[in-house]
Amino acid sequence: MNTRSLLCSLALLALLPTARAAAPVQQIQATLAKPAVMCGRFDQTKQLTGIKKPLQAYGRFCVLKGRGILWQTLQPFPSTLRITRDAIVQIQDGRVAMKLDAQQEPVVKMINSVLFSLLAGDLSQLDQLFELDGSLRDGHWQVALKARQPALAKAIGDISLAGASYVDKVSMKEASGDRTDISFSAIKTGEGAMTAEEGALFD
Amino acid sequence: MTKPARHLQRLPRLLALAWLLAVLLVAGHNAWLWLGQRASPDTDILALLPGASSKDAVRQQAFSHMVDSAQQKLVVLVGDRDWKRAQAGAQAYLTVLHAHADLVAPINDDSAQWQSQWLGSLDRSRSLLLGDAQRAQLATTTAQQWNQRALGGLYGAFGGPRLGAWQDDPFGLFGDWVQERARETPVRPRDGMLFVERDGVSYALLLLELKAPAFSMQAQEQVVPLLAQARRAARTQAGEVVSGGVVLHAAAASAQASSESATIGAGSLLGILLLMWLTFRSLKPILYIALSIAVGCLGALSVSMLVFGKIHLLTLVFGASLIGIAQDYGIYFLCARLAAPATQDSATLLRRLLPGLALMLLAALIGYLGMALTPFPGLQQMAVFSALGLVFAWLTVACWFPQLIGPQTLCATPRAQGFGQSIARWPDLLGGFAWHLVLPAAVALIGLAIAGVARLHSSDDIRALQKSPPELLQDQMRISQLLELAAPVQFYLVRGASAEAVLQQEEALREKLQALVQRKLITGVQAVSNWAPSQQRQQDNLALLRRALLEPQGESPDAVTLTAQAIGESPQWAQALRQRMLDKTQPITPEEFLATPAGAASRHLWLGQVDGQFASIVALRGLTDYRQLGQLAAVAEGMPGVQWVDKVGEISSVLRQYRIYMGWALLCAYAAIFALLALRYRRRAWRALAPPLLASLLTLGLFGWLGQPLQLFHVLAGLLVLGLGVDYGIFLLESSRDQRPHAWLTVALSAASALLSFGLLALSHSPPLHAFGLTMLCGMLLVWLLAPLFTHPGPAAHATPDAQPDKESA
Repeated sequence: MNTRSLLCSLALLALLPTARAAAPVQQIQATLAKPAVMCGRFDQTKQLTGIKKPLQAYGRFCVLKGRGILWQTLQPFPSTLRITRDAIVQIQDGRVAMKLDAQQEPVVKMINSVLFSLLAGDLSQLDQLFELDGSLRDGHWQVALKARQPALAKAIGDISLAGASYVDKVSMKEASGDRTDISFSAIKTGEGAMTAEEGALFD
Repeated sequence: MTKPARHLQRLPRLLALAWLLAVLLVAGHNAWLWLGQRASPDTDILALLPGASSKDAVRQQAFSHMVDSAQQKLVVLVGDRDWKRAQAGAQAYLTVLHAHADLVAPINDDSAQWQSQWLGSLDRSRSLLLGDAQRAQLATTTAQQWNQRALGGLYGAFGGPRLGAWQDDPFGLFGDWVQERARETPVRPRDGMLFVERDGVSYALLLLELKAPAFSMQAQEQVVPLLAQARRAARTQAGEVVSGGVVLHAAAASAQASSESATIGAGSLLGILLLMWLTFRSLKPILYIALSIAVGCLGALSVSMLVFGKIHLLTLVFGASLIGIAQDYGIYFLCARLAAPATQDSATLLRRLLPGLALMLLAALIGYLGMALTPFPGLQQMAVFSALGLVFAWLTVACWFPQLIGPQTLCATPRAQGFGQSIARWPDLLGGFAWHLVLPAAVALIGLAIAGVARLHSSDDIRALQKSPPELLQDQMRISQLLELAAPVQFYLVRGASAEAVLQQEEALREKLQALVQRKLITGVQAVSNWAPSQQRQQDNLALLRRALLEPQGESPDAVTLTAQAIGESPQWAQALRQRMLDKTQPITPEEFLATPAGAASRHLWLGQVDGQFASIVALRGLTDYRQLGQLAAVAEGMPGVQWVDKVGEISSVLRQYRIYMGWALLCAYAAIFALLALRYRRRAWRALAPPLLASLLTLGLFGWLGQPLQLFHVLAGLLVLGLGVDYGIFLLESSRDQRPHAWLTVALSAASALLSFGLLALSHSPPLHAFGLTMLCGMLLVWLLAPLFTHPGPAAHATPDAQPDKESA
């Protein structure tokens, strides 16, 4: 995972002022479960301009309320990203490939909170940065996020989320034509959701 | 009547008229200055200090560069645990300022646009820009590892938005470099504002620019209340507002100085008026003295403005003490008029008094001359101002008083008469009685004083000279802590024959400073070469980039080829990617960089070409432990073209130099005045000098025992103790036994009012004025008490006004 560009984009994310929501955010919010621990599988497809084949990856993710996010890519090569309140750490080949401290990099905390909102579907948080346009039918919802500020819109393009009790899909489309689709499956919550190894990565 | 005699009679009248003309001119000039031109006093304390080693133009410019860039800026941090409240507070603050954009305006309100602009301006050189960490990585990391990193970027879940397309920065090098540069400040853009966080409190940072000069009192009077209003508005939303800026300190200093100059001036004037009333029970002498002082002040203001172009507020405060001396001449004339017989007309009286009056003026001028000869612009101004004031007041007494005050004009109150007589009860220490008691007591006293002087230690720290209100200092410290600001008064000055040489030397210096960063003595370094490396370094970077990423090493393919293979792309694709990186290699020069939006924050660091050579500043961030300055100075040693500049230390050492210099000047003034007095008093001359000398010695001894550190300003006060004290000797030596009570009255009036004015200076919150005032307080009190002891006429003294004053009487 390219944490550097993630960092830059989210630093830009943080540029935005707050405004009111247009979508039925509250109803959608109400359909979402808000578990303390949530783990599952992700499948990701990226289509980049200038690169012929779509780039596919999958792995496991965990979202721990109030603590952080674990994003473990398994294929095509193993890589782990851990985002906590105080640091963002990338582990590759069993060693720390990159570490960003909140003390060193003040936006780390903001990145953590925005990513958390994105994965946990915390729309009320996202509402501050994006214009939300969504719909809800039979317990299934989808929301399109459009950056409130032109500079951010230019940098990250459009994001859409879809789901029911959990976020099922995230799609990101950039002005350059690059496109990333992530789908989540096999979501488990509660005590047994997280493996011991994953738990150990948080300690 | 003979012709010359008639001529002699007309002369005083002509002089008086001529002086009237001069005074009218001066008054007109003053009215034009203060009412017409609306001139206002200067308040910058640095303007009072000498340009240290001013021969070095580069150094001077370096310092003014650093200070000027700070001077017009205001930093405001609006903080709250809740970022939204902090934002709202900042908005409220700005709303108040909005209506007064001609006074204060935000420097950058569109941080988002600014950020994309500055990234864009460096884009075409991105492959040449490598930080220290990336250079180390490129030197050690294998092509396989770089390939992993490129793939990490490609497969990353949120890898979409980045600094440009993936192809422009496949190995994340430019992103890393930007991150490293961003770490030069803890400030980040957030929600269209600048944001900094510490201990759970989020702050919105507002950078404001003052449109009027920070040291103009008029600007201060408008800006400070406006900022206070904005602060109140912000506090209704957010929990904390911290503000800092030179203008706040300057305003606090000038508010204090102007209120003090008003109190000291008014107090001194009131005290003198009261004394005069008690002595003469008439308004006339009060008016005469006030007239001489007023002419003195107007003349001093007018000519000083012509000479210096502006006048400093502290000169005016110091000038308030001028009143103390200027009145002496008037008092001397008035008291002599009281003592003189009614048959003697005032013109004749003046002729008799002229030698004494001239000596008094000369002695005071010699004292000020010592001050005027220092290379301290502030001291020069104060000395010239005071000397001018004295000359104007003196001429007023000499030209006008004989015309205004006839033989019948004055009579002293019984209380004043009684006081004058009290001199008869003053013991004659030198008169030969009780030597067995006097000598041991004198030896003991002087011994004690000398022991005290031996205990004296000195302090020349410039920081002790300026005392800002504690809440301002607290805010200032909080701001430097939050923003990790670079100190504007301590830095390295780097020089070279070309811009390239300067940048290369900067790079070498930064390398050496890394050790101090690791030891946490400083948190970092600000330098233009951080952004625009030397051409040499840029070429090195490109070579490093080619070798590590773009060219195969022996059997194993290069990183770009590995990445192409991993995602199933062709060798042509790999070649295109390589070319894309090599296209972004437009060399960047410091001048080009500084012209970009990214360079705005570094402009004060680049001096460019000065005096045929190039120079730049390397500033230090997070410097807090000032005891370690020696280590920083040591880094510059052995590096040609690199010089450690510590303005605080420099000014302090200049203060020390002048303290010593003025000490010698004081001794020379004693010698010069002694020579002057010896011309008139012969062997009695020492009697006029002994009281101020002894008083100064005792005062210094007292400070030694009290543990007061010796400063330049004590020495300056010593000069005035001499200038004033010698007057008392002259009053008493000039007078015969009959005139002695009136001379004593003169001394008392003069000393009491001098004490009043200088005593009030001792109450000043400005440390230099306090030191000055305290010395004057002790010194003048002692001179007053000692003067009669040394100038006793003795039993053989002459009783007539025509007595030969040069006879040794004891």
